[in-house]
Amino acid sequence: MSPRGLSTEAGIAGGDSAVEAPGNPTAPSVPTSRVRARWNSWKGLVYQLAGILLAFLALMFWLQTADLSPIELTTLAPAALWVYTVEHIQLTLLAAAIVLVIAIPLGIALTRRPLRFLTAPVLVIANFGQAAPAIGVVVLLAFWVGFGFWAATLSLVLYAMLPVLRNTMVGLQQVDAHLVEAGRGMGMSSAAVLFRVELPLAVPVMLSGVRTALVLLVGTAALATFVNGGGLGILITTGVNLSLTSVLVTGALLVALLALLIDWLGRVVEHVARPKGL
Amino acid sequence: MWDFLGDQYEQILFSSWQHFSLVVQCLVLATVIAVLLAALVYRNSALTSIANSVSAIGLTIPSFAFIGLLIAPLGFGVLPAVIVVAFFATLPILRNAVVGLSGISPSIVESARGIGMSRFRTLLQVELPMAWPIILTGVRVSAQMVMGVAAVAAYSLGPGLGGFIFSGLSRLGGANSLESVLTGVIGVVVLAVILDLLLVGLGRLTTPRGIRV
Amino acid sequence: MSELNATNRADSTDEPITPTGITGASILLDGVTKRFPGQTRPAVDGLTMEIPAGKIVMFVGPSGCGKTTTLKMINRLIEPTEGRIVVDGDDVTDMNGDTLRRGIGYVIQAGGLFPHMTVATNIGIVPKMLGWDKARIAARVDELLELVSLDPALYRDRYPKELSGGQQQRVGVARALAADPPVLLMDEPFGAVDPITRLRLQDELLNIQEELQKTIVCVTHDFDEAVKLGDWIAIFNEGAQLEQYDTPERILGHPANEFVENFIGSGAGLKQLTLTRVADVGLSDAIVGVAGERAADVLARVTEAGHGHAVVVDARHRPVQWLSRRQLGRLDVISDGADPKLPVVGIHATLNDALDTMLVSSAGAALVTGRRDTFKGVIDVKTVMDAITRSQGAAVLESDQAPVGLNTGVFQAQASAEADPSDTAGHGADAQAVR
Repeated sequence: MSPRGLSTEAGIAGGDSAVEAPGNPTAPSVPTSRVRARWNSWKGLVYQLAGILLAFLALMFWLQTADLSPIELTTLAPAALWVYTVEHIQLTLLAAAIVLVIAIPLGIALTRRPLRFLTAPVLVIANFGQAAPAIGVVVLLAFWVGFGFWAATLSLVLYAMLPVLRNTMVGLQQVDAHLVEAGRGMGMSSAAVLFRVELPLAVPVMLSGVRTALVLLVGTAALATFVNGGGLGILITTGVNLSLTSVLVTGALLVALLALLIDWLGRVVEHVARPKGL
Repeated sequence: MWDFLGDQYEQILFSSWQHFSLVVQCLVLATVIAVLLAALVYRNSALTSIANSVSAIGLTIPSFAFIGLLIAPLGFGVLPAVIVVAFFATLPILRNAVVGLSGISPSIVESARGIGMSRFRTLLQVELPMAWPIILTGVRVSAQMVMGVAAVAAYSLGPGLGGFIFSGLSRLGGANSLESVLTGVIGVVVLAVILDLLLVGLGRLTTPRGIRV
Repeated sequence: MSELNATNRADSTDEPITPTGITGASILLDGVTKRFPGQTRPAVDGLTMEIPAGKIVMFVGPSGCGKTTTLKMINRLIEPTEGRIVVDGDDVTDMNGDTLRRGIGYVIQAGGLFPHMTVATNIGIVPKMLGWDKARIAARVDELLELVSLDPALYRDRYPKELSGGQQQRVGVARALAADPPVLLMDEPFGAVDPITRLRLQDELLNIQEELQKTIVCVTHDFDEAVKLGDWIAIFNEGAQLEQYDTPERILGHPANEFVENFIGSGAGLKQLTLTRVADVGLSDAIVGVAGERAADVLARVTEAGHGHAVVVDARHRPVQWLSRRQLGRLDVISDGADPKLPVVGIHATLNDALDTMLVSSAGAALVTGRRDTFKGVIDVKTVMDAITRSQGAAVLESDQAPVGLNTGVFQAQASAEADPSDTAGHGADAQAVR
C-alpha cells in the first residue's frame, strides 16, 4: 500500500546525493572545511530528525491540552499508545527480519549464472504482484491462515519481499562486469568475488531496498488491525468507526511519524555503511 | 467464485471502470502538477533538492494514515480518495521529471537558445520532449503504485474495486466474503497490468524516434 | 607453475627490485580451440603458438577476431574447448583455475580497480590470498608503488576515484605485479586514457619491463602501440587465424600477405619511426646556460659555436628554457622562469614521438632528457630522416628466430620447427626467405 517502485527507490538513493555532498577526502584537510563537509553530508538527516521530533512533540502537546471525552482519554492514554506502538514495531521488525533472511539469499542466487535466466521473469512477476492492494493481500491471507498476529506478519513478509529482492538483484547486476572479471582474473574464487567485490559494491542499493521495505512495512502494518493483528492501525479504525477525530488523527500521525523515523534510521545506516571510495 | 462473478458482473465492471478512471484522471492531474513543479525548480539546485526531499519523504507516509488524516477534515466520499491518489501519484513523477529535465546536457539547451529559441520555447520544444521518456517511466511507477492506493482509499467510501475488499471484510465469514475480496484484489492487479500496457503503448507513440531506446 | 614460482620469487622481494635477468616464463598454446555455445564458427580455431619467456608479445587484429579470447584462455578465464595450455613447461589445462590465476598478473582496461578498496588494499589482494603476512604485504605495496612512479606515502591510502585515469592504470599494473608473477596478461590496458598519458604509460611499461623481464602478453587494437611495445607481434584474423607472428621490423618491412598490409595501413615507413628510440640516434650538443648568467656571455658562446639557440638548465641540470639568439639579444640577465611549452622528449621515446614534439616547436628540434629529466642533447628533423633511411635497409638484415605460431592444430617440437622452415607455414617461411 505504501508507495514504492524501482525508479523511486533508486531515485531515493540517488536523491540523497543532491542533499548530501559526500565528503571529498582530496580536499585540503583544513579542519573547518572538513567540519563543514561533514555537516553538509548530515544536514538533511538532522533536519529530518528535527522535523519528526517537532511533530511528535506538537502531537503530544495537543493531546495534553485538547478537550477530550472520557472514551478518547482512555484510548489515547500514554500507556495504551505505547502498547500499540510496540506491537506495530514488533510486526514491522519481525516481518523485516524474515524478509531479509529469505530475500537476500534468493536475490543472490537469482543473479548467479545457473539461475540468471530467471532474473527478468521474477522481476516482472514480482512487479505486478506488487500492484495487488496490500489491504486485499492482508485479508486474503487471514482467510487462509486465520486471523491474528501471524496472518498479519505473513502478509507483511509477502509484501515487503519485493523491494529487498529487487534491490539485491539490481545492486548485484549493476556491479561493473569488468571488476568481476578483474577479480576472477587475479585468482579470486567466485565466492571470494561475491563477498569481497560484488556484495560490498551492492551494499548501497541493497540498503536502500531494505529501507524501502521497512517503510512499506510500517505503512502496511497499519492494516494489520483489519485482521486483529494489532498495531497503531486500530486507532485509525476506531477513530473512523466511532467518529472520534482525535483518535483518528493521533493514529494516522503516529503511523506516519513512525514511518518517517524508520526511514531516518535507514538513511543513517546507509550513510554510515556506504563503502568509502564510492 | 464463478457464481459470484456471474451475479455481480455488472457491479464488478462498473467498479473496475470507476477504479480505472479514478486512477487515470489522478495520473493526468499528477503529471501536469509534477511537470509544472519540476519546470519551476529544476534550474535551481536548492529548489531541486527540496523537491527531491519532498518526494522522498512524501513517499514514506503510509497511504492508510494519510487517508485517515483526510477523513478527519473532509469527511467520507470521493474527495479524500482523489486527493490521496493524486498526491501519491505526483511524487514519483515529480522526481523523474526533475531528474529528466536536469539531466539534459547544457550544450543542447545552449544551442537551442543560440538559434534564437526563447527560454519557454526551449523548455517546450527541446527539454520536455527529451525528458519525456524519463517522465513517462515515473508515470508508470505511479500508476502501479496508486492502483493499490486507490483500493485503500475506498476506506473513505470512495469509488472503485477497494469496495469489494472492504465489504468482504465487513461480512467476514458470510456468504461470498472471500469471493468479494478476491475479486477486488485480482481486479486491481488486472487493471494495473492493462494500464501499464497502455502506458507502454503511449510511450511508443509519444517518444520521438531519435531518442527511443 | 605459477603459484610455486610466485611464492618462491616473492621470497626474495624484500630487497628492492633489481634487474635480475629474465623472470618471465614461456607459454605454449597447443592446438587450442574455443567454441562458444550457439555459435557455428569457433572463436579460436586450432591455434598453436609459442610465447617466449621474458618478451612482450602483442596480439592485434580486427575486433571480434578472437585475440581477447585467446588471451583469456592463457589464464583460463575462458576455458579452451580443445587443446593444451603450457606455462613454463607445466601443463596447466587441468589445474585449479583460481590457483593458476593467482600466479598470473592480469591487467584490464582502466585498471579494473575495486572502488571500495584503497590503493594499498587493491594491490595487496593477491599477496593476501597467498597468505603473506601484513608487514610483508605493506612493504611490497610500497615497493610496487615506487616501481610505477607513485609516491607511496601520498597514494597508499587513496581510493581509486581520487586518482586520475593514468594513475589508476598504474595501480592496475602494480596490482598485477603484486605477487611477482612470471607472466603478465594485459587486455587493452591503455585503451581508456588520453593519448599523451598513453604514451607515458607505454614508456613506463617499457622501463618496468627492462627491469623485470616478465613475459607480457598484451591485446591491443592500436597497431602503433603494438609496434612500440612488442618484441613480437601476432596479427590475428577472424577465428584467431594467425596471419603473421614476427618482429615489428619484419612485419612492417615484409608483411606476410594482403591482410597484414591492409592492417598496417598506409605510412608503414613512418611507423618504422616507432621502432627506433631517441637513444639510438646521435644527438647534437647544445650551448648550455644557467639562470642569472649574463645573456651577452651566453650569446657570445652561441655565436661562436654557430648554433641558433641556447638551453637554460636549472640547478639539477633539467632544461627550463630554450632561447634563440634573438631572444638572448633582447635579454640582460637570464631569468629563472620555466617555459611550460618546452619541446622535451625522453631518451626512451620513439623517433615518432620525438618528431611529433619537434614539429610543434618553433625550433624544428626537441630537447632530449635522460634519467631524472636531466638534459642530454638536442634531436632535430635531419637526424630523424637519416634514421629512417638507415632503418629501412637494416630491418631486413636482423636474424632473430621467430617463435612458432600456426593454425594447423598440430604442434611440432620447437627444435624441428626451427630446423625446417616449411613447417612454420607462411610466417616463418617468409622470415626465412628474407634472411
